[in-house]
Amino acid sequence: MKKILIVDDEPNIVMTLEYTFKKSNCEVFIARDGQEALDILKTNFPDVIILDIMMPMVDGFATLEQIRKDANLQHTKVMFLSAKNKESDIEKGLALGADAYMTKPFSIKKVVEKVEELLA
Amino acid sequence: MNSAVLLLILLGYLGILFFIAHWAEKKENVKWTNNSYVYSLSLAVYCTAWTYYGSIGVAANSGLSYLPIYIGPIIIIPAWIIILKKIIRISRVNKISSIADFISLRYGNSRFLGAIVTVVCLAGILPYIALQLKAISETFHIVTKTNSSSYIFDDTTTYVAVALALFASYYGTRYVDASEKRKGIVTAVALESILKLVFFLIIGIYVTFFVFDGYEDIYAKASLLENFKEKNTIGGLEQGLNWFFLSMVSLFAIFLLPRQFQMSVVENNRERHIKTAIWLFPLYLLLFNLFVYPIAWGGNVLFEGKNVNADTYSLLIPQFFDNKILTVLVFLGGFSAAISMIVVSSISLSTMLSNNLLIPYSFLGKLRNEEQTINNKKIVNIRKIGIFSLIIGAYFIYRFFALDYSLVSIGLISFVIIAQLAPAFFGAIFWRRGSRMGAIYGILIGFVICVYTLLLPYAIGLTNNESSFVSEGFQKIALLKPFQLFGLDYLQPVPHALFWSMLFNSLTYFAVSVSFKGNYRERNYAEMYVDIDKYSTNHENAFVWKGTAYTRDIEKVLIRFLGEERTKRAMNIFNVKYNVDKNQELADARLVKFAENLLTGHIGTASARILISSVVKEEKITLPEVLKILEESKENITINKKLTETSNQLQKITSELQKANETLVRKDVQKDEFLDTVTHELRTPITAIRAASEILHDDDEIPEELRKQFLQNIISESDRLNRLIDKILDLEKFETGKQTIHPTQNDIIATIENSIEPLQQLIKNKNISVYVESKDQILAFYDEDRIIQVITNLLSNAIKFCPETEGLITIQVKKKENFIETSVQDNGKGINPNDFDVIFDKFYQASNQNFKKPVGSGLGLAICKQIIEHHKGKIWVESSIKGACIVFTLPVKNIEN
Amino acid sequence: MKKRHQQKLVVLSLLLLLALNLPIVLLFDSSESFLGFPIIYIYIFSAWLFSVLMSWIVVQRYYE
Repeated sequence: MKKILIVDDEPNIVMTLEYTFKKSNCEVFIARDGQEALDILKTNFPDVIILDIMMPMVDGFATLEQIRKDANLQHTKVMFLSAKNKESDIEKGLALGADAYMTKPFSIKKVVEKVEELLA
Repeated sequence: MNSAVLLLILLGYLGILFFIAHWAEKKENVKWTNNSYVYSLSLAVYCTAWTYYGSIGVAANSGLSYLPIYIGPIIIIPAWIIILKKIIRISRVNKISSIADFISLRYGNSRFLGAIVTVVCLAGILPYIALQLKAISETFHIVTKTNSSSYIFDDTTTYVAVALALFASYYGTRYVDASEKRKGIVTAVALESILKLVFFLIIGIYVTFFVFDGYEDIYAKASLLENFKEKNTIGGLEQGLNWFFLSMVSLFAIFLLPRQFQMSVVENNRERHIKTAIWLFPLYLLLFNLFVYPIAWGGNVLFEGKNVNADTYSLLIPQFFDNKILTVLVFLGGFSAAISMIVVSSISLSTMLSNNLLIPYSFLGKLRNEEQTINNKKIVNIRKIGIFSLIIGAYFIYRFFALDYSLVSIGLISFVIIAQLAPAFFGAIFWRRGSRMGAIYGILIGFVICVYTLLLPYAIGLTNNESSFVSEGFQKIALLKPFQLFGLDYLQPVPHALFWSMLFNSLTYFAVSVSFKGNYRERNYAEMYVDIDKYSTNHENAFVWKGTAYTRDIEKVLIRFLGEERTKRAMNIFNVKYNVDKNQELADARLVKFAENLLTGHIGTASARILISSVVKEEKITLPEVLKILEESKENITINKKLTETSNQLQKITSELQKANETLVRKDVQKDEFLDTVTHELRTPITAIRAASEILHDDDEIPEELRKQFLQNIISESDRLNRLIDKILDLEKFETGKQTIHPTQNDIIATIENSIEPLQQLIKNKNISVYVESKDQILAFYDEDRIIQVITNLLSNAIKFCPETEGLITIQVKKKENFIETSVQDNGKGINPNDFDVIFDKFYQASNQNFKKPVGSGLGLAICKQIIEHHKGKIWVESSIKGACIVFTLPVKNIEN
Repeated sequence: MKKRHQQKLVVLSLLLLLALNLPIVLLFDSSESFLGFPIIYIYIFSAWLFSVLMSWIVVQRYYE
């Protein structure tokens, strides 16, 4: 069973993602912000992390930096999912080590497709 | 009174004068000497022994005609504010040291004209000086009750004259540069002016109130004397005309007399001083003349029938009553009056003599080749000897020509002679067309007529009836009778002479000036004089000159008179002023003028010009060329002024534009950031709606509960989106000023309660306690809906920040004088002090690039700020120990009122 | 000092020229006594004093 960590502070968005991936038989973890995410990642090593950028406390970019320093998460794929859609943001995200970057608003179908791709 | 004693008193008095002059020359006493009162009083050198004694004689013998001598000055002095100021300015700029310089410079720096003016002044003033000595001598003898000795060395006045000559020649030539101020002399003269006035007033009061019983008493007794009525009225039309001409001659005299020019122009330190002189000098003259009538007629009454010289009434009266002290005081007053005239006149005459006659016509050759120190010594010696000789010369005139005429007549003749300078003088400052030839011929003709109508007849002798010259005219031609020239028989000799000489003088001046064009140099100086205000700051620019000159040559000449150091300094000043390279070999017109100016102080304008032109090569330049250049330079001056103004304005505008640009750029960046954030915020609810909708659409098997949940999400996110859009529009309206608020009188406590009401459920859910710290009414002036918006927003924030348990929100209202202060305090985690200001920004962002996600929509506080500021209030974060405290103010009354 | 204030003083000069010369001065030409002075004196000295006062006032007020 694949493990997915969803990091986003908007509950209504998280709800849709959670439902979708639970239906696909994934184990879903939720974090409301970067700090929470890093705490979870101390003991859990998901296959994919869906990461929002604009979050309180620690934002997505900072979180990814930390993730990439973690040896345990070497094989973890990270995908940014954010309303920030400027080229500079996308570049930054990918430069920091993200494996994919998708913009909001998103199509559920497309997100699922992308995740499957990453898990393959 | 013993001769010896009186002589001692006199010497003591002279000693005091020496001391005052010496004290005034000291640098530290400048503030005493350089003031407008000293200046104004020094002008009173106008009142000489003629005024002091002679006026009384005239008043006693012929009545009112002593007054016109003062009427002239009184009339013209108010206009000094324009005329004298102009003269002073011209003189200062050109370093003029005498009236001969002034006139000769104006007409093209003409050596010949300067010489003529000097001769006219000598002819007019030497007898005048002799008069003063005569007055001193006679009054001395009256006081000591001695007779004048025919043996010159027995006569004490000889020694007085010598002492005076020494005093004047020493203190008058302290500085080589004749245009440097003679502070010592000026102060001494001012002091003497005070003394002579005081003593005169004393004798006047004595006669009026002690000898007689007041004015009415004098009148009563005097009116009984014969001819009282006649003498105390002007008379008819004829006398009125005489009166007019006499006042005209004195009007000219106040400008043209060398001693007056010396004091009012050359010794003037500040133009400002004219301000005081305009009222103080006429006042002085008024006071001086107040007691002339009582003394004169008191004397007439006392000495009726006795044949005494009415000039000396002021001495005879106290002597009559054996009042020795008073007699001596009066004598000292007259003495002061006489010696100030002698000293100042001899100094100015000597300056003219040296600068306009001696040096240009003979000594220049010798000076040209000598060292500076030797030159200076020579010049000073020439002047010293000049002063000494003039005074002694005048004394001899007095002794050997036994002037039998009254003080008054000699004085008036002197005035008429001096008045010949008037057309040239006034033309110099007002008429550009006035030419050198016109001036020369005018003065010559005027002088000739003076000689014919005044000097000759007087020399021959009024009383010499045997001469047919006076009674029948030259070669017995009736129309050429010296006192009735061309048949004009209703004027007295002096006004008559004045009329004809002035008439021919002016007509010649005007006629010659308009018929013959002057040379370009005259015209140049004419411009500089008449338009002095335009040229006073850089007059060297106004000087038109074409030719070749080498700086080194000019410097050599300057060194001969100024010395190495001063020349170097002067050249530095010139180079800095006109931005000229100091290695510039060729000299231009400005340097030529500058150098001439420097030399003028030492040797006068004429000689300065001669010297400089001897080392430069001047090219002929036509009059039209000069006029063109002058026109251009006038234009340039105005253009320059305009340019500077415009340039200043431009600078101002440029800096304003820069600021505006910076603001625009900043706002542009802000706008970009704002758009970024807004779009991001808008996309978030849209994302939720889209995702939920997609799921509902694609998934048929979704449990009912979840389906309802997702639908609910869609609804609430749509609302959220809507609210967001509203807030953004709100904010935009506020910022662009399109939002209007409608403030009225409201109770803030009630408003707070109203705001809390809808949030009650949320408050209860989160276990928060809310306290409002006042139950009474507090009135303020605000738009209730908007303030509800504000309070709601603050409350929502507070609620969000409150801890999970025991959350506490306190709302406090304080009443201040013109406003109320409302604070909303929570006990949450508080706000970072660094962010106190920033949180009110739209979508506030911390200063570093890490985006902190704003609480709520991030717009709430920005809108609150806008609302409060529209109410003319303030909103800020108050530091508190725990939690966040936001305070805002509202006005109590309508500020518009 | 501004030009128009200077002109006030020039006007004063002109006034004095008229007041202290014929024909106006002849109007007061009398040796009758007034306070012990012939009237002509009173007139001339009053005009004189007036001009001193006027000059003083103008200069005090307008000379910067």
